[in-house]
Amino acid sequence: MARKKKCIAMLLAGGQGSRLAPLTENVAKPAVPFGGRYRIIDFSLSNCVNSNIDTVGVLTQYQPLELNDYLGTGDPWDLDLNYGGLHVLPPYQAAKGGDWFKGTANAIYQNQKFISNYDPDYILVLSGDHIYKMNYEIMLKEHIDNDADATIAVMDVPIEEASRFGIMSTDEKGLITEFAEKPAQPKSTLASMGVYIFNTDKLLNYLEQDEQNPDSDNDFGKNVIPAMLAGGERLYAYLYKGYWRDVGTLSSYWSANMDTLGEDPELWLNDDGWRIYYRHDFHSPTYLGEHASLQNCNCAAGNEIDGHIFDSVIGSNIVIEEGAVVRDCVIMNNVTIGKGAHVEYAIIDHDVEIGAGAKVGGSKEDTELTVIATGQKIPPAQTGKEV
Amino acid sequence: MRMLGLIFADEHDANISDLTLKRTFAAIPFGARYRIVDFFISNMTNSGIRNIGVIATTKYESLMGHVRYGGEWDLHRRKSGLTVLPPFSFSSGEARYENILEALQANLSYITNCKEEYVLFTCCDAIGNIDYSAMLDQHIKSGARFTCLCTKTPLNKEQGVRTTVYKTDEKDRITEIQIKKEHDPGDLISTHTYIMSREELLDILTQSIDLNKKSMRRDVLMPALKTSKVMAYVTDEKLTYVDTVSSYLKSNLALLNKDLRRELFMQELRPIITRAGNSSPAFYSESSQTTNSIIAAGSVIEGTVRNSVIFRNVHVKKGAVIENCVINQDCTIGEGAVLNYAVLDKGVIINDKRLLSGYVTHPFFVGPDSVI
Repeated sequence: MARKKKCIAMLLAGGQGSRLAPLTENVAKPAVPFGGRYRIIDFSLSNCVNSNIDTVGVLTQYQPLELNDYLGTGDPWDLDLNYGGLHVLPPYQAAKGGDWFKGTANAIYQNQKFISNYDPDYILVLSGDHIYKMNYEIMLKEHIDNDADATIAVMDVPIEEASRFGIMSTDEKGLITEFAEKPAQPKSTLASMGVYIFNTDKLLNYLEQDEQNPDSDNDFGKNVIPAMLAGGERLYAYLYKGYWRDVGTLSSYWSANMDTLGEDPELWLNDDGWRIYYRHDFHSPTYLGEHASLQNCNCAAGNEIDGHIFDSVIGSNIVIEEGAVVRDCVIMNNVTIGKGAHVEYAIIDHDVEIGAGAKVGGSKEDTELTVIATGQKIPPAQTGKEV
Repeated sequence: MRMLGLIFADEHDANISDLTLKRTFAAIPFGARYRIVDFFISNMTNSGIRNIGVIATTKYESLMGHVRYGGEWDLHRRKSGLTVLPPFSFSSGEARYENILEALQANLSYITNCKEEYVLFTCCDAIGNIDYSAMLDQHIKSGARFTCLCTKTPLNKEQGVRTTVYKTDEKDRITEIQIKKEHDPGDLISTHTYIMSREELLDILTQSIDLNKKSMRRDVLMPALKTSKVMAYVTDEKLTYVDTVSSYLKSNLALLNKDLRRELFMQELRPIITRAGNSSPAFYSESSQTTNSIIAAGSVIEGTVRNSVIFRNVHVKKGAVIENCVINQDCTIGEGAVLNYAVLDKGVIINDKRLLSGYVTHPFFVGPDSVI
């Protein structure tokens, strides 16, 4: 019996994310923890299922072990389906040789067999390293209404930031007239979010052409989109006005975490209308001790907290002992902070021990962001007596 | 594994009827993010049991919704797994059963179809982290016909509640079974957890059905004391009871004690697993003050919380003061409200500036979805 899907998603999750080092030393960027209990990829995956897209190919390449473990059968996102669901698509060997994914476009090119299993009319191409809540269904509807060949989600960004992005110029109906990848002199402020919808036939055509071009970087932004424009295809911009962050650098990663705080947070995680799903670890409930105080904090499960925490995002399995002060921090899982330690403006990766009385980081106003990599042990302060 | 696990989800004691208004006993929420049945399923799976039946009679919707096919415990297997067994009329003819023996009789066909050599069955009013495989080891080693789990140090066990007490000889062989309303220090208190061979159980069930016998204690265990070996397995693990609303409050608040928390939740290789929601981390605002409390995910704390257990997605608004309370899932506590020794069931809304106060022996109980 022939079956098909209207739209499937291809999620690019193979990038190294080298600017996020050391957080990405042993783990692909999409699997980096975020917001206390999530991983970065949860946002794209949850957006898919919340937008009624139930078939997702996740293209992996760099350090896939932890990411693969995390994705599993896709059950946390209800993507463990008999037809459709979540499929991890690694690079592979074939009869005529095989290759790593050479670029974002080549990664999709190499997985045409996966696509053809679902015979989709539309293909949604996503990055696994963005933090946002977006309804792709609305974008798809606009794509269909415009009779477009491709639709690119864009955000209006400040002009001074525009040269960091792929910038679109459009006519009044949103038809793209010009596209420039990271232009020195941006002509518009509509920045590509790396979210694309293509008509399947058109995309496969252009991927084939791109593959024949030995000079191509096989990249969507650099090669495929410009080629489609040059080929006279109908490319539309879809203006997205919600929250979106590319957490490509340590400081943007830190700020996006902070966006989950506050009484009316920019990034609201407990939104019943748009759940962000994640895979659970089993932890006991969090206990706050006699001396604990938490102000403007997110705090996940399995923690024993007796110190003072301000303006921070705290993961799971954390021990913060009496008298310790934590301020402006992002703390991942399995971290111990000893008595009287002082940790400020820092990202603490998982499995870190900070000894009693130790001082890590400094004030947000006059210090650089401190990052403590996984497995580090900061020795207790040598003050002669315990603090 | 050679042992089948059976859990009796109902506890027919009127003392706890407040909390079982809309749910069966095993589905009572406990410890900020669990339901009582989680401890028993986790204990069983941690002890190597792979086939578990949960016998329920009434109000089992929330129980079924919680355990489903046991996926959280990796029990959704092809050859074994978790089965909720709602009332099923067999030769006993009764669709509702009032005690363990009747419940087992009604599920004779399920027990017959299982392949395990031994059966462990248990009520679930004594919450702990118990290694049943050690109990089975003792059962086999002692050559007992029946082995019964009991404790000398029950935590938060109320007086005035029907309690089964064992008397044993110096080798832990049970010589007498008593029913008491007031238990004494040092009493061996039964948790109604038994191990026997499955064949033995099948014999007991077919015979008792034929003879219309209705009580495990009176008709099976008591007569067996004289003729065969009935052993007590006295556990050293801490067991905390839920048998009245007061003991429910006390047992929850007992989790604020680090030792009990460690015994229950942090045993090496014996995690207590539950079905988790998809809540975000708990959020503590600028105005929050929370000490000596357990707070589950998804909660928003803007007020003051002391010595309390707060379940998922609870909103404590500014100026509210909560002390010595158990607040179940999805409750909202209004601005300036003051709660002391209160037990709030799910989905309660306390309006601004309300004052609720009970005492540890007589908690102020608010039923599910009430608005005060």
